Amino acid sequence: MKPVFSVILFTVLSGAGLGALALAALAEILAHLRGAPAAWPAATTAATAIALVLVIAGLCASTLHLANPRNAWRSLTRWRSSWLSREALAALVLIPVAAAYVGLHAFDMDALTPALAVPVVLLAWALLYCTAMIYASLKPVRQWHTARVPLAFLLIGHASGALLIVCAMATGRATGDAWIVTAVALFVAALVAKLEYWRFVGGRGVTLESAIGVPHGVAPPRRAGAPPQTVAARLLDVGHSKGTFLTDEFVATHAASMRHTMRAVALVAGFGIPLLWLATAFGIPLPGLGDGRADWRIGAVAWLACMIGFTAERWLFFAEARHTVRLYHGDRTT
Amino acid sequence: MKLGLLIDLDTCVGCHACATACKEWNGASAISGPLADYDPYGAEPSGVWFNRVRHYEVGAHPDSKTINFPMSCLHCEEAACVSVCPTGASYKRSDGIVLVDQDKCMGCNLCAWACPYGARELDECSGTMKKCTLCVDRIYDTELPEAERQPACVLACPTHARHFGDFADPASNVSTMTRERGGFSLLAELGYAPVNQYLPPRAVPTVAVASGSRAELRGGESGGGAAVGALARLVARARAVLEG
Repeated sequence: MKPVFSVILFTVLSGAGLGALALAALAEILAHLRGAPAAWPAATTAATAIALVLVIAGLCASTLHLANPRNAWRSLTRWRSSWLSREALAALVLIPVAAAYVGLHAFDMDALTPALAVPVVLLAWALLYCTAMIYASLKPVRQWHTARVPLAFLLIGHASGALLIVCAMATGRATGDAWIVTAVALFVAALVAKLEYWRFVGGRGVTLESAIGVPHGVAPPRRAGAPPQTVAARLLDVGHSKGTFLTDEFVATHAASMRHTMRAVALVAGFGIPLLWLATAFGIPLPGLGDGRADWRIGAVAWLACMIGFTAERWLFFAEARHTVRLYHGDRTT
Repeated sequence: MKLGLLIDLDTCVGCHACATACKEWNGASAISGPLADYDPYGAEPSGVWFNRVRHYEVGAHPDSKTINFPMSCLHCEEAACVSVCPTGASYKRSDGIVLVDQDKCMGCNLCAWACPYGARELDECSGTMKKCTLCVDRIYDTELPEAERQPACVLACPTHARHFGDFADPASNVSTMTRERGGFSLLAELGYAPVNQYLPPRAVPTVAVASGSRAELRGGESGGGAAVGALARLVARARAVLEG
């Protein structure tokens, strides 16, 4: 599938924003359930405000891939069957609710926020899940039609969101160890989910032979007495001289040549650098990286590195996905 | 009703007449025309087509066969292109035809992603998704003689490799041919239940060919034995076609 930058930007940015919003609101709910509502640090308000901006920026970016955005409002109508419509609806409801939640915290009206925290968590999870299900519901793309996709989207969104919160809290030197442990756990879980996904995409799927009906008799005539043989098929001619919408959208990608580079960027920038900074923030002294105290400026760089790494990861998510249309253009297997 | 096409891979000669007739009719149609052309008179012409013919080789030389493979919308019963559409622009009619309302489409491409067959193409000029209409503006047109109330591709096919009909009616021409000649669905394992069916090549009685002439065939020489063998195969094939 063609990696579209606006969609990559949307899923990475809004993923981080939604993860941060969900985690902050979840922390507030848990504190209330324990009967010990802690003071809401200004840093958390700042983190959730940044998160909201990321979500809105991501949603704006996502409209750039529409060829006819005049009709975008109509995407709110088919939520009964379409994950894209559900995503649009969830976003439309989430933004005012999350804005009210962040606003009330900003003006220290903390008495009202616990009631809003529950819908914020549920809507953020719903939006992340809807985005992932747009891809996971597509049967013609074997690499997407798996529960691994929503799992990775949710974990990666929450990991980058947790990093944003830890980074914001480090500005006040009030980094709670619980947040750092949560962030590390989320990064490790996201890494495991992604490694499992990369293992999964390497397999084989539908073949060209089955796509054109070789098992149904689309085969050369068999000579009398000849043993049955496996009939292989190959594309002779695609029927057009230049590219088409189909070749642009489904066939032309650089996944094969970029796979190792992009995976390395995703691993080092997306997972390695954030985990190293979180280790220093937790007080583990690492040579040349800090004295065991969290520095939010290094944290911000680590968060930017994380965004770059996850952008590479999301580019590969599209570029490595092989649609069944590729079979009709000559691919051996999906 | 389940209106659709039956495509005979035995008689299709890969001439692309169906594809050009489709482009001609639908380019001037009010349903989703005009169909954009990019760089039409330049070195690399491209554009929106509803019907594309590809060519494959099955088997290994010399026991191989060329398969000409026309593909257009298969008007699936479980049309995921319709269910994923967020705007309601894609819809399926009670007669089975899947259409795109050009006034509602926002050009998000999700329906094209949901289609395993590559039946949908985005028109960059209108910013909307376009696809085979099964010539809905021909097949119900009572101004046309009854014999011409068929999709343009079916009328244009010089070898009668394309047939139009109602697959819900077991007595229709397309249902009968599908039953009698082992018609099959493309990528049935995905569960889209495509209405259009494909007929595999007929099982031609094989003709014994002397091993020497087979060697000549491999060498590309036009020896007498090879010519006789080819002629015998042609006669046997013509007989099989005539006998149905």
